[in-house]
Amino acid sequence: MSSCGNPNAEADALMTRRPKYDRSKACVKCKSKTGNIVIRHAVYCKDCFFPLISLRFRRTLEPHVNPTLDLHRRKGLKASGNLLIGFSGGLGSTVLLDLVQKTYLAPRERQDGDQNPNGGCPWPKVVVAHIDTSSVLTEVQGESCRIRGVVESYGAVFEYLPLRLEDAFDQKWWRSVGGPDFVHPTGLDIINEDMFLKLLSSNRTSPSSALNAYIASLPTQTAVASGIQALVRVLLLYTAVSTHASHLLLGTSLTSLSISLISSISQGGGYSIKEEAQEEWSDNNEDGTDRTVRLVRPLREVGTKECTLWAWWNDLTVIGKHRYSGGRQDISALTRDFIVGLEKDYPSTVSAIARTCNKLTTKESTNTKCLFCERPVQSGIQEWKHKISIRSYRDLGPDIMSPPHMNLEGGSSGDSRPTHTGPVASNLCYACHTTWTSRSIRGNAASQNDIPIPVWVASRSDHHNDLRNGRKVEENDLQYLIKDFLLDSGS
Amino acid sequence: MSSDNLSLKIEFGGGLELLFSKQRSHNITIPAIVRKDDSTSSLPQENDVETKPADITYLIHHLRDHLLKERPELFIENKTVRPGILVLVNDTDWELEGEGDYQLKNGDEIVFISTLHGG
Repeated sequence: MSSCGNPNAEADALMTRRPKYDRSKACVKCKSKTGNIVIRHAVYCKDCFFPLISLRFRRTLEPHVNPTLDLHRRKGLKASGNLLIGFSGGLGSTVLLDLVQKTYLAPRERQDGDQNPNGGCPWPKVVVAHIDTSSVLTEVQGESCRIRGVVESYGAVFEYLPLRLEDAFDQKWWRSVGGPDFVHPTGLDIINEDMFLKLLSSNRTSPSSALNAYIASLPTQTAVASGIQALVRVLLLYTAVSTHASHLLLGTSLTSLSISLISSISQGGGYSIKEEAQEEWSDNNEDGTDRTVRLVRPLREVGTKECTLWAWWNDLTVIGKHRYSGGRQDISALTRDFIVGLEKDYPSTVSAIARTCNKLTTKESTNTKCLFCERPVQSGIQEWKHKISIRSYRDLGPDIMSPPHMNLEGGSSGDSRPTHTGPVASNLCYACHTTWTSRSIRGNAASQNDIPIPVWVASRSDHHNDLRNGRKVEENDLQYLIKDFLLDSGS
Repeated sequence: MSSDNLSLKIEFGGGLELLFSKQRSHNITIPAIVRKDDSTSSLPQENDVETKPADITYLIHHLRDHLLKERPELFIENKTVRPGILVLVNDTDWELEGEGDYQLKNGDEIVFISTLHGG
């Protein structure tokens, strides 16, 4: 067959279709059975598929179980706290739950590559948390009961912990996870590119309506999607701390990770690309102690295809099918369409995205955490943004003189600033700031006020207000506020 | 069962069943010889129509025309299944069986699973 002719003129001129697998149909592992699945050009039979996925899961997770890497080599696996699993009911988290149960909670025989010679579960307790997002995503309504059923189908090995997305605006929940009390109800004002926290006269809004107001104030579809994602992540991190968990596991597959990496970079999250795959998050507790949670994505070497077949062949119930509805136009959904299409013809490229991003690192580290998403804030990012952005004179501060032909009525729009507690833009990461201040496709300027803020933002701003207003600060509070500037006692 | 027809078991998973009467399993019968252009209308008596043995590409068109209840764009794209839909032929990845060119046999079990649900 010719491979370089004109297909319109010659019937046989089309190039020969390249098979999706490298050599033969025999399994590349056992080399005896006929294969059942092609994973990035390699053929595996069904019998070899299950140990392969199990091995990839353990190989990704187990080096991060012990507090330090060398401990793991000598003494087997022993975590310093409990385990929290974030369970959405979707494909990845369903497979993750099954793998955790089969690997650590069910009696089994030793397997090849087993890095836990002592056997048993490295965590004293395994808690499964599900965040009910039905107050903002109508398509997931009624799923919570079914999700509880899935968790309980494993028996008493998992403790089920239901949460709601609106807990992010609920002081009761904040107190229940050990968050410091805050007395001043605070809202967010977006005047221009500066964003201000503002003391509100009362805080009578219910968590549910505060959540809806928060979501409604986000300027774009992309901002809504990433805003919900950030709320879910931070809720899980604080819940992990409150359940004394040393590890938080999420069911992000290789495909999902590649999607979130590309999507995050395109939304300005390049500085925290490392955290997109894995992060060490510390809760700066009131008493000055840090409680660290290690967020691991143990399926980050397992693609969606493998997850799908694991779920199908193990007859697992996958509840979260809402993404199937399609039609969303935010960056995350468009990236998903692109990556899924890419994976069909070029499956190795998707893993190359994750592997390439894994090699990236930032030039300098930072101790500043974003008020909203609690990821690192690059120092000097606002100054840089001011230099490279095309901005309106209305976005400039009052000390910047506008040219005479610009007759701005009332000068700068920051007239109401005296009621504000202070700008927060410098405490936001580039991605969160861009999310809040980007203009919608209709060109609307994002000017809004009294936007409810999550409890962790309000709590941190409350501390700063107390300091600013001259209130006597308790010794523990003071230690919390100046902790970044203290030298280690050992140094 | 006539030798002119093939009896197949079709299963849908991962949310795809929602497009097919919310029914996971279907038993269907399709002609063994079909039009080469994958049109699912019956073959005329004359012999001037190009034909081929029924393959998965034809099956996809048949399912769209006879079983699918809503939103065909979520199932079929460019004469094949939409990216993100995994196909198993008798419990084996269709990529090992020639994908759409796999010639169907009587009693085959074909599974379509969507991988596009949440994580």
